[in-house]
Amino acid sequence: MSALMDAITAAFGARILETGDFRGDLTISVAPEAWLEVLTFCRDNEATKFDMLDCLLGDHLPERAAAPFALVAQLVSHTYGHRLRVKTALTEGQAVPSVTSLWPSANFDEREAWEMYGIGFTGHPNLIRLLTTEDFEGFPMRKDFPLEGTVGGRVRTDLRGKI
Amino acid sequence: MSADPHTDTHGAAVDTHGHDSHGHDAHGNGCAPAGPKRPTTEELIARKAATRQEIEPGADLMTISIGPQHPSTHGVYRIVLDLDGEIIVDGRPEVGNLHRGIEKLCENRTYHQIVPLTDRLDYIASFAMNHGFCEAAEKLMGLEVPDRGRYIRTIAHELARLSNHILWLGIHVMDLGTQTFFCICFRDREYILDLWEMLCGARLTHSFARIGGVAKDLPDGFEYRCRKVMEFLPKRVAEYERIVKNNRIYYKRAKGVGVFTAEDCYAWRVTGPPLRSAGIARDLRKDEPYAAYGEVDFDVAVEYNADVYDRFLVRMKEIRESCKIILQCLDQMPDGDFISKDAGHVLPRKSEVMRQSGAMIQDFNQVFRGPQAPKGEVYRAIEVPKGEMGVYIRSEGGGKPARVRFTTPSFYHGQALPALAKGEMIADMVAIFASIDVVLGDCDR
Amino acid sequence: MGMRETILGDGFYRYDPEGGRPRGAADRPHLMVRDGLLQPALEERTASGICLPGESLDDDEMGGPVQFPGGIAMPVQIERVLGFGRSFSFWPLLFGLACCAIEMMALGGSRFDMSRFGMEAMRASPRQADGMIVAGWCSIKMAPRVVRLYEQIPDPKWVLAMGSCAISGNVWDTYNIVQGIDSLIPVDVYVPGCPPRPEALWQGLEMLRERVKQSRHAYDGLRRIPARDVLAAQTAAAEACAPAAGEVKA
Repeated sequence: MSALMDAITAAFGARILETGDFRGDLTISVAPEAWLEVLTFCRDNEATKFDMLDCLLGDHLPERAAAPFALVAQLVSHTYGHRLRVKTALTEGQAVPSVTSLWPSANFDEREAWEMYGIGFTGHPNLIRLLTTEDFEGFPMRKDFPLEGTVGGRVRTDLRGKI
Repeated sequence: MSADPHTDTHGAAVDTHGHDSHGHDAHGNGCAPAGPKRPTTEELIARKAATRQEIEPGADLMTISIGPQHPSTHGVYRIVLDLDGEIIVDGRPEVGNLHRGIEKLCENRTYHQIVPLTDRLDYIASFAMNHGFCEAAEKLMGLEVPDRGRYIRTIAHELARLSNHILWLGIHVMDLGTQTFFCICFRDREYILDLWEMLCGARLTHSFARIGGVAKDLPDGFEYRCRKVMEFLPKRVAEYERIVKNNRIYYKRAKGVGVFTAEDCYAWRVTGPPLRSAGIARDLRKDEPYAAYGEVDFDVAVEYNADVYDRFLVRMKEIRESCKIILQCLDQMPDGDFISKDAGHVLPRKSEVMRQSGAMIQDFNQVFRGPQAPKGEVYRAIEVPKGEMGVYIRSEGGGKPARVRFTTPSFYHGQALPALAKGEMIADMVAIFASIDVVLGDCDR
Repeated sequence: MGMRETILGDGFYRYDPEGGRPRGAADRPHLMVRDGLLQPALEERTASGICLPGESLDDDEMGGPVQFPGGIAMPVQIERVLGFGRSFSFWPLLFGLACCAIEMMALGGSRFDMSRFGMEAMRASPRQADGMIVAGWCSIKMAPRVVRLYEQIPDPKWVLAMGSCAISGNVWDTYNIVQGIDSLIPVDVYVPGCPPRPEALWQGLEMLRERVKQSRHAYDGLRRIPARDVLAAQTAAAEACAPAAGEVKA
């Protein structure tokens, strides 16, 4: 476990903003500028070798006023069997580079993070809404979006030539 | 797909009964190294290239939409395919037709209230979903599950796997043209559901796991009936294999179709039986043991050809292994509590709530305030029948999570379908889609 | 964020067969004239099912021929005979949304064996179906598809809402779920449960059979589906507003 963290801290040093170990889950926080670089390193380095992106998710922390959004990538290595969580904090409207070039499976994850939280991804091949309708308004997983009541979408009973 | 370029590996399986040409017998667990027959990754890629058709650049493409109401999309999946003649050039999946915002709902519910919501993720193997969430919540709260609870969970999880695989088999083979076989599978699945009714009263949406254990102890007579079913299911699997495995029609439609190598699986996060059919013995039950999987003896089902046929073989082996696991759990079943006694995080037994004041206070606290979790974030992945399911929980303290994310296998399997089907014939799309086992409730969340 | 006031909250249109314009007995073949009053004819059904006690097969006594949507009129007695025939070869649409679809399949499977009742032929094409079992929750994204499937089923048609989600949205009171399928299409029979057991669905289908036999439809009182018009007007009104800032299309 420490070999993994050593490799990452040796490569990035102070650019790793924070490391954590809660219940055995290793976590590192990086700046959004280093997002793609750190994940590329994690995938390609011999000591880390994270060959699969387990999931990538957005998060909203309204109490953290300076950077209320977060992006979390959960990596897993089939070679070593270890896992790592990489986090970055984002402001409203801030975009990060897409990691679909590293792991194609990030495609849906990033589309979901975009539609649910409004986190932008530069270089994403097809950044449109995934789970909700095309004309849905607002970002439903944000904490200020009401849970109940069909707020952002509208029920259409006609397909309007969309299908 | 008349020109099948690699009948050499499996050609004998068509004509002989009960033995395939892997070098081990058809009823073995198949986890031994396959010897010289095992293809290398390069061979698999070459096979993939050979089975897949040449796509002319700039050809006139025809676009067709399959789903969301289509009998073989297993729900309301929709894919828009670009075809060059009969060859699939590209596809654009559309999901979300069953999206409920379950993660948003989780942020407004206590941990105990989330357990029934997870039933409706993968409703074919509900307990696996309950289990995944409870494992994650226990990791967050630092709870220990008592031994008996862990063993009951293992039995329940394997029952979910059995009912999932048998249902999958019936529908998969029905997609390829049989109706009777579907009825055979449903006949056997009902025996599993009977066991479920004994355990928790429900057939489909169990909500049987609780944070800290399970909802109920094993009922009287369960062990006897469970043993009966577990002894009889492997015979049924042999029957399935007699019907399907050496069936020339099924063989022709499944063999060499939809080859997806291990590298492809990693890139697209395709896990579970499709990954194991590509020769990777990755099974979280072995690799990161949870419940009682560390204490029972079972083999990871592996096949090497990475096609639809091998995914079928992997699932058949997993049914046999599941029966083995359940029988071992029944043998080794320890005495004691089935749910933790931790009053801060666990619901009390219902029988005690109206009799003991302590239990009543605990019940009140748990129902109204929820289990008080520490601040922090955890990720827990378990092996559910369809693949690896992960649960991410971020807690700000208190009885409700601040963020829950269900990383469900179908979400990624549905996404990978265009990559799987590219270069294949349109008629094989149905077989390929079924082979990766997508359930849309699981996918859309 | 440009979130607008919901049109959906008010936009829901509940089907209320009694809420339309007043109609005569001719519009309601499931009602009968007895003792000078228009009364429900469900309870006292004869064994044959063709004719109800106290009910005449004479058009004039029944208030004129049965009126169908689209202006077709048919004598009562022919409609009764047709309904009797239809009830024993009812072909539902093979269409599952969610968990309930698995129980629907179980009903078609070996143990429960729906084919004993002449209902085994689940048609995948709505053009060949007599009715629809809405098995599962209906999201906003799925709503237009469900309505289109319903409209593609030829008249006369019946709808069975299976499970709590189709009936009322169940626990999914969230931003993306239609709170009850009956706000979109008229429903004949509701089968509660989450999911209902196959036996419950079977009972629901038996209740539906009674309705088929008597040629009663949930859309009886409706000349057309007004939900479409109501929602179309509201959509037009909403689109007349300024476009939202948050909307991005690639």
